[in-house]
Amino acid sequence: MHSTLLAHERDPEIRFDTKKQIAAFTSQICEVIVGKTEAVKLAVACLLARGHLLIEDIPGVGKTTLSQALARSLGLVFQRIQFTSDLLPADILGNSIFDRNEQRFVFHQGPLFSQVVLIDEVNRATAKTQSALLEAMEEHQISADGVTYELPQPFFVIATQNPQYQVGTFPLPESQLDRFLMRIELGVPDRASERAMLLGMDRREMLKELHPIFGAETLLDIQARVRTIHTSSALLDYLQDLLDASRQRHRSGLSPRAGLALLHASQAWAMMNGREMVLPEDIQAVGIPVMAHRLGHDIEQSGQSGRTFADALLNSVPVP
Amino acid sequence: MKVVRKQDTRIPRRPLLWLAAALLFTLPPMFGTLPSWVPLLFLIALAAKFWMEPKGYRLRSLVWKLVLVALILSLLFFSYGSIRGMEPGVSLIVMLTSVKILEAHTAREFHIMIMVAWILCLCGFFLSQNLAIALCLLIAFTLLLVALIQFHRGPLSAFWSPVRTAGKLLAQAAPLIILLFLFFPRLSTGFRFQIAPQREASTGFSDRLSPGSVSFLANSSEVAFRAEFPDGKIPPLSAMYWRGLVMWHGEGLEWAAPNAPAALPRTSQGTPHGQAIRQWITIEAHDARWMFALDRPVNSPSGATLAPGNYLWSNQPIHKPRRYEVISYPEIPNNRLHSREREPLLEVPTAISPAVRALAQSWSAEKAEPRAIVNKALEFFRTQGFHYSLSPGEYGKNDLDEFLFHRRLGFCEHYAASFATLMRLAGIPARVVTGYLGGEYNEIGHFFLVRQADAHAWCEVWFPDSGWQRIDPTAAVAPDRVNLGFNSFLERRGAAAGHLDNTQSVLARELARWPAFDRARLGWQTLSYAWDTRVLSFDGDEQESFFASIGIPSHRQIFLIVGTVVIAIALLLALYAAWTHLRTRPCGDRLKIMYESFCRKAARLGAPRNPSEGPFDFSRRATRLLPDESDRIRRIAKAYIALRYAPAPDPTTLEQFAEEVNGFVRAS
Repeated sequence: MHSTLLAHERDPEIRFDTKKQIAAFTSQICEVIVGKTEAVKLAVACLLARGHLLIEDIPGVGKTTLSQALARSLGLVFQRIQFTSDLLPADILGNSIFDRNEQRFVFHQGPLFSQVVLIDEVNRATAKTQSALLEAMEEHQISADGVTYELPQPFFVIATQNPQYQVGTFPLPESQLDRFLMRIELGVPDRASERAMLLGMDRREMLKELHPIFGAETLLDIQARVRTIHTSSALLDYLQDLLDASRQRHRSGLSPRAGLALLHASQAWAMMNGREMVLPEDIQAVGIPVMAHRLGHDIEQSGQSGRTFADALLNSVPVP
Repeated sequence: MKVVRKQDTRIPRRPLLWLAAALLFTLPPMFGTLPSWVPLLFLIALAAKFWMEPKGYRLRSLVWKLVLVALILSLLFFSYGSIRGMEPGVSLIVMLTSVKILEAHTAREFHIMIMVAWILCLCGFFLSQNLAIALCLLIAFTLLLVALIQFHRGPLSAFWSPVRTAGKLLAQAAPLIILLFLFFPRLSTGFRFQIAPQREASTGFSDRLSPGSVSFLANSSEVAFRAEFPDGKIPPLSAMYWRGLVMWHGEGLEWAAPNAPAALPRTSQGTPHGQAIRQWITIEAHDARWMFALDRPVNSPSGATLAPGNYLWSNQPIHKPRRYEVISYPEIPNNRLHSREREPLLEVPTAISPAVRALAQSWSAEKAEPRAIVNKALEFFRTQGFHYSLSPGEYGKNDLDEFLFHRRLGFCEHYAASFATLMRLAGIPARVVTGYLGGEYNEIGHFFLVRQADAHAWCEVWFPDSGWQRIDPTAAVAPDRVNLGFNSFLERRGAAAGHLDNTQSVLARELARWPAFDRARLGWQTLSYAWDTRVLSFDGDEQESFFASIGIPSHRQIFLIVGTVVIAIALLLALYAAWTHLRTRPCGDRLKIMYESFCRKAARLGAPRNPSEGPFDFSRRATRLLPDESDRIRRIAKAYIALRYAPAPDPTTLEQFAEEVNGFVRAS
């Protein structure tokens, strides 16, 4: 539907190809995660926008399955870290261990040195470990014993967290929430989807059978092309109107980093829909997952969640 | 079109609550002035709205609306006998507003309701203009502002922020309000716009004194007038006789004042004695022409004459509160009474019974000295078991016998009337004076408040050596009435008798004993007095004297200046508005203008665009709502998106877009 309406004649070959690849990638994941097409598409957009993803929901709705499906479908080096309250930064970054043979300290890379890192229950670890992780996410490098180690490319962190009212959690501070491009919620599947899941194969088995749709090279290429999706001045006007409105209505509005996040995510969304330009609708589509966790901590109006704020912003700021 | 109706916006709850609160505050002036079913039905409509709105019910059917309107018109006709005039007009507006409340459900109608509520505020002022009503309507006005602000802010704004904004707006408007109040041209000559409704003549004072006419007022706490003594010379309460009318024509227990008194010639005014007492009196509107002054006035304020008998008579009926200055002297000796004047002062009706005649003649036969006769008569009232009573029972105008010899129970009018008649029978010229006695001193505002309950009637007799002399037979019967004032008198008597025969409730009495309440009451009276004297009485004449005081000689000149300034400001505002309009809509953005005209047309066809809706989403929705035009809408949206959001739009696309939009707009 989108392609018929918005056919753009420049470079149709590549565009069509990319769109097909992304669609195939998305539908493979949707086979495992039944009835959550929207969430899966958002997760893919997050990946394409070179952002990190935070999945928040109650246990048992398929957070881990989704992240594993993403990793496997990419054919990338995958590591999973279960966060606990006694986890130390060195446990994820790596240790320098004295090598008797060579008579020197040798750095042993931790599990963070991989292309897709799945962090389960990120809010169960203490602030120290959380900040070590989030620094690595932002800088794409790790410093240990005075040496800086580059993390591999692409580098994609999927963190899952339980809702914060659960026992034994350390809520992520707002500055660190900002590092995640999107926060999505999966939610309980509807009745039909749940029936399909109950009847279908074991999810673990299905995960093993997933094959990579594209590799690191292609992913990096797509990620680079996402940034070239055209954003007209009318669209940037709209984006800035949203940012301004958020700053007027909330004591701590959206940061400039949030503005960039919104831009990149909407570019990825436009590309997934086969467009060479971003429309206000793209911003609206990714608006809630990008903005909600950044607006949710407004103390003055604590009665309402960030999701409501984001929704109201999108519904009230006129498209210029 | 069905789809369009479905997306009717329900009026959000919070603005509706604010509006309802505002409408409640427009009600107080209606109670008491309009038939009570009008405000009651209005309240019911308001309550019904709150019940209907969450359920989505509303008054839709045209038939029902017509039936309701017909019903309202016939009810009004039934109540008033006509739908012309101020009160029927206001009632009609109120009732139509209630129907509108039941009907309204869209944003546009919400705005209409706000506007109508503002008109209701104005109507409230038509009905009553006292301070309490003014405050009520000010609150209503503010709440309407709050409702409008809340409506436009949407549900996300904090609860108090619209109130703050409304306060800020009003504060900003205040200087303009004051300027307009002072300088806006007031109609004072020629065409008179009568705002206050016609009062019924029966309440208040009357130019006939008949048995029961004063005691009828004794329960009324309505304000008659307020008086200030600017020189600080305040007579004692027992001498505070406020002279209203002088009644020359006696018919036993019933006395009457002349209909249209002539002016008192300056030569026969006499030379006043004693201390001059200057008063500022603010009289409430009563639609008749009497005015009051301390016994006895010697000059007449502008617009009034001093009638024979030294009382004030307004040249025009008093339809709105009026303030005047008058000087009184306690004594004006005048020992010239021409025989031509003397004769009518001894006239008595022929119907007077022999017993009464015999009584009067027994006094005059015994004593020749007029003062001795007067004393004799007063003694008669004092010693023969006369009682002062609020409810003496019914008397006819010829029931002088009944009063003097049998029942001996009366209020001031009975004593004054019978005393004057007896004096005439005994050969002493006498007349009855009606007015008020005493008043309540307000120590905060330093003025006296005289209520209808203070109405009083007394006598004047003519002595050859000193002229007219005030004699109050009531003082002989119930001296405390004169010395204490009416309310204290009643209170004392009620306490002595063990019960309260006043209509004031026990609660009000208890409250009155509490000093803070008393101070609050006096403070409120003071404010209310200031409102009446400084705001309400600021009419054309006052305005002119205000202009004179700031150095503008003629009101014509100021109207010219004000008019010029107003027109200049309006022109500047129009220029500013036009300039901002041009600035915010650059001429180069033809694309946007065309797209907007496309959206307007689509809205007319039943597919309005949300301001926050992107072009792609809108085209999808519009094609669904307007299937006939779907192809064209799709083409327009595609071209618009390409032109506005694509990297390098094709210049020919703009022309195609323009053609498509024009075609769409012109299509029927």
